[in-house]
Formats: sequence, C-alpha cells, structure tokens
Amino acid sequence: MGARLGLREIERKAWLRTFEHGLWDLAVGLLILSFGIGILTGLYWMTAIWVPLAVPVFRDLAKRLIVPRLGHVTFRRKRQRSTFRVQIVLTALAVAGLAMFLLTSWSTRGDAPSALRWMRTHMLAVIGLIWGSGLVAGGWAADFPRLYVYGALLFSVLLGSDLGLSYNMGEGLAGIGSLITLVGLGLFVRFLRKYLRRPEPSFEEGEGDG
Amino acid sequence: MASRKRADGDPFEVDRVIHEPARLIITAHLYVIDCADYVYLMQNTGLTWGNLSSHLSKLEAAGYIEITKEFVERKPHTMAKLTEAGRAAFDAYRRQMKALFADLPDETN
Repeated sequence: MGARLGLREIERKAWLRTFEHGLWDLAVGLLILSFGIGILTGLYWMTAIWVPLAVPVFRDLAKRLIVPRLGHVTFRRKRQRSTFRVQIVLTALAVAGLAMFLLTSWSTRGDAPSALRWMRTHMLAVIGLIWGSGLVAGGWAADFPRLYVYGALLFSVLLGSDLGLSYNMGEGLAGIGSLITLVGLGLFVRFLRKYLRRPEPSFEEGEGDG
Repeated sequence: MASRKRADGDPFEVDRVIHEPARLIITAHLYVIDCADYVYLMQNTGLTWGNLSSHLSKLEAAGYIEITKEFVERKPHTMAKLTEAGRAAFDAYRRQMKALFADLPDETN
C-alpha cells in the first residue's frame, strides 16, 4: 500500500478503476466515428442504429470480461448522486438537441432574430459547443477526467470545420472518433493484460485458510 | 509519550480486530464504498482468496461485516458489506489513532 493512500484516495481509486477498462472510451470513440463515417458516406442510418446495437454488445462485454476481472462493487450515496448527475446531463443534452432543431427551423423564416441567423451560419461551431460541453459536463458529473479532453477535441474539430479549415466535418469527426477509439482499445488491451480473470472458489474451499 | 486516557479509551487499547494490517485495509475499503465482492477485494487488497476469506470470517464474527453468499449463473458470488457496528468501530479506531499521533511533537530530533 502506498504511503499516501488515504481513505479519500482509496475511494477515488476504486471509482476510477471502473473507467480503466476503456469500454467507455470505445463507446464514445465509435459513436463519434460513426457520425463521421455517416457524413462522409451519406449513410446516416449508421449512426441511428449504432446506439441500440452497441448497448447490448457493450453490456455483454462488461459482464463477460470486465466484472470477472475487476469484481463487483457498489458505491456510497455520493457516487450514486454522480450517476444521477450523468442522467441530468444526458437529459439536458437531449433537450439542447431538440431546442437546436426547433431554433434552426425557425431561423429559416424571414422574421427570425439575427442571433438565430448567426447561429444557423455557424451551425458546426454551435453543435461542437453543445456536444463538447456535454462531454465535459459528463466528465464532471461522472468524475471521469478523460471526457474533458474528448469534449475539447470535439469542439476544436467542429470549430475548425466551421472556420473553414482544410477538412470537412465528416473527416474531422472520423479522425477524432478513430483517435478516441484507439485510446479505448489500448486501455482495453492493457486492462485485459493487467487484470487476470480470478474466479471465486466454491464456498467450501478456502474456508479457514490463511 | 502519550499515555493519557482519551474519550475513546486508552490509546494503547486498540481494537485488534481492525488493527491487524490486512483487516485494516479490508475495512478501509468497505468503509469508503458500499459493498464489494471477493474478486474486487482480492484485486484491491492484494490478499489471496484464502487469506481474504480468513480475515473476512474474523470481521464477520466480530459483527463488523455482513457476508452474503449466492450463486450467479451457477458460479459462487460473495458480497461483503460493513455493518453499522463495523462502521462505528472503524470511526472509533480512526479517532483513536488520530488522537494518538496528534500528541507526537513536530520534530523528534
């Protein structure tokens, strides 16, 4: 045990360990990648079917590969509150997406305020701001710092695309989606090598041992 | 040398069930999380299954933890959780240790 390992560090280490397997990074990376590929190929349905297809696959991966290695742990009320905060962030993102859709529709009308027309002109930057803020807020809510970096990357790529840098939105999204997916894959492989499967012996074995 | 009696009792009369290093780290983990299974505790304490099982039995006998054994998909699954008595004992141990070390002078040389 490290000399500076206090109770707070033990709790935080246990919490961060639940993100060490890289599945969350893989999920975020593949989602952004599917957006990018969808835009580049015109196959927008790819993104639409990704989430309902991926959720059971990721759940199964977690059940078969993560839990037997990491063990099962439930956290106290403070961390349960952070799960609630994540749900609030996701709801806020959905509401922001809907509001944006409505405002964009309104901005095409002649009587739309100039701010809305500006927003329509800089649609990519606004989308980047909303998605990037969503990831940052998710990182804050779940105490998962890598999401801050992913949020900043996403915003930068969409802002760059909006400012007319030499790539389009699809290429930018596919690029950072691939990068985040690779990070997730690297973490996943490292996790599988670091944590070996340690099945629990039957109840009779080990009783009174040690 | 601190030898005065504290509110929690004599500083040298420590709770030996918690004071043992392996049990201290087990209790510390269960204190900050809600409950955990054997695999989690093995990974985080570095103890072998047999050792962990033995120390958990002692903590359970003292009434400090509650152990739930069940089968999940035909595989044994054991969860451990700190009881209220265990939480109170750990709090008392923390206060006692804090008071004991607070009496040390800043520089011993």
